[in-house]
Amino acid sequence: MNKTAYKRRVSLQKKNTRLATCLLVPATLVLLAVSIYPVLSSLWMSFTNEHLLRKETNFVGLANYARLLHDSEFWGSVGFTFTYSFFVVAIAYVCGLALALMLNRKIRMRGALRAILLLPWVIPPVIAVTNLKWILHDQIGLINTTLRAWGIIDKPILFLAQYGLIRPTVILASAWKQLPFMMVTLLAGLQSVPTELYESASIDGAGFFRKLFSITLPVIRPLTFINTTLSFVWTINSFEMIWLMTGGGPSGHTFTVPVLSYYTAFFRNDMSYAATIATSILVVLLLLTLLNFRVQFGKGFEGLGLGGRGKGEAA
Amino acid sequence: MIGSKRERRDNAFICIFLVIFAFLYSLPTLTMVFSAMKGEAGILSDLSFFPKKIDLSAFMEVLRSDYFLRSIRNSLSVALWVCLFCVSLSVLTGYVLSRNTGARFTYYYILLLVLQMFPLTLRLFPMFKVFKAFGLLNTHACLVITYTGINLPFSALMMKGFFDTIPYEIEESAMIDGCSQLQSLVRIVLPLSLAGIATVTIFTFLNVWNEYMFANVFVNDRDLVMFTVALQQYVTQNESLWAHLMSASTLGILPSLIFLIFAQKYIVHGLTSGAVKG
Repeated sequence: MNKTAYKRRVSLQKKNTRLATCLLVPATLVLLAVSIYPVLSSLWMSFTNEHLLRKETNFVGLANYARLLHDSEFWGSVGFTFTYSFFVVAIAYVCGLALALMLNRKIRMRGALRAILLLPWVIPPVIAVTNLKWILHDQIGLINTTLRAWGIIDKPILFLAQYGLIRPTVILASAWKQLPFMMVTLLAGLQSVPTELYESASIDGAGFFRKLFSITLPVIRPLTFINTTLSFVWTINSFEMIWLMTGGGPSGHTFTVPVLSYYTAFFRNDMSYAATIATSILVVLLLLTLLNFRVQFGKGFEGLGLGGRGKGEAA
Repeated sequence: MIGSKRERRDNAFICIFLVIFAFLYSLPTLTMVFSAMKGEAGILSDLSFFPKKIDLSAFMEVLRSDYFLRSIRNSLSVALWVCLFCVSLSVLTGYVLSRNTGARFTYYYILLLVLQMFPLTLRLFPMFKVFKAFGLLNTHACLVITYTGINLPFSALMMKGFFDTIPYEIEESAMIDGCSQLQSLVRIVLPLSLAGIATVTIFTFLNVWNEYMFANVFVNDRDLVMFTVALQQYVTQNESLWAHLMSASTLGILPSLIFLIFAQKYIVHGLTSGAVKG
């Protein structure tokens, strides 16, 4: 490249960078208003004693966090948030993988089956919860009436009221909603496994499980990591499923951190303490995000530095 | 091929198993539709799975109810505005991030990835206060702003993924012929990424249509509520119109159903691009 052409190219790039920066301004403004400011403001709020029923607000330093340390309700909700998220993701992953393996074969009605199995993911949580509560109802719910008609049980099962049952019920309900995401992403991952690997393994006499553990799972391992962490983050953050199903009850037995935070803000009017509770989960989420980045972009995040120009990877 | 007979037999078994599983998996949704068809008279007495007598009066009443229809209209209009803003902003952002290298764009990319992960409840209280201060509570504007901001990171990242698949050389040759950068975006890149725009639009639409928390906290005015909030009027402490609720819910999942039937590949693409790419 001769010198003038090089200069022109460099100046063109500079001009383009300036234009590019200008084009980012509108999105940045929206993000500042809707994401960055509220998060910082929440952080600030957690250092004050803001209360909906109190006129003045003062800076109280770490008092809210000190209170958090001794709040058994909060620690209970932290514990349940992790059990809940762990089981939801684990159940969704195992079932999703099984379904994806089946849907990856040349079977009839593949498209229709996939569409039916996708449905719970796209319907509004409000409606999903109504439907789940309706079939789990102790008197008129389909599950209880059927089991009673078949003579398997003689007393109705109180899915949504009994202490021992409420947590498994909520976990299964959320796994039900999360499953399609796992199934579809894993299906996409399975389709990228080269078939030659399976063919040569078959020739060597490998059975189904041998192929699963020696070929399929290793090949989709990065994907597995990314979609389980993503799903874990979503489940930790999820509010609607639990709030609409149980409202955190009976007596706080199904409080997860977001639900407890919402309850504290709007039913106990304690805005600053609610912000403290919500902030506490940020640390965990940031750690998970960092882990996710490491897998997605390599150890030093080198995958990130390359930008996108002309990478040409297939969609 | 060796073992193809066995494979065919296995596939038949798997197909039968999947049909049964899909039926059980959709039971909550199917029960909703069939319960809605039992009508208010039969819903609490007829406990069979299929309605013994089909009574569509609840559907009719829901379709005649002003409150419900208005809430559907509210949800539609908010969702369409959000789609408009979110798609145009994410096209710009995605394009810039896909076509530029350098630290500042990398940091922006990381910022978007991180923002996706932040809990929504953390943003709820400050935004509630801000909208209250500006007198925007109980308007659609506050919902449009909120939803645009919430959906933007994911949509922009998805658009970036799409633009990455369009080779820069096409644009370069257009620019040699005298196209400016913006012209090349509008005339060359956009027509090539219609599939991506469709995916982002459908995802944004469904996210807004399905959202409940912000809709419930920010807008309570009877004339302005979103349909997810309006559903709750049917079952309150005073009255329980279960068949109405089921009918309204059945109508409420129609957009999702339509997209699943006619645009399944875009939904699948949106789901996978969230995890497989980033």
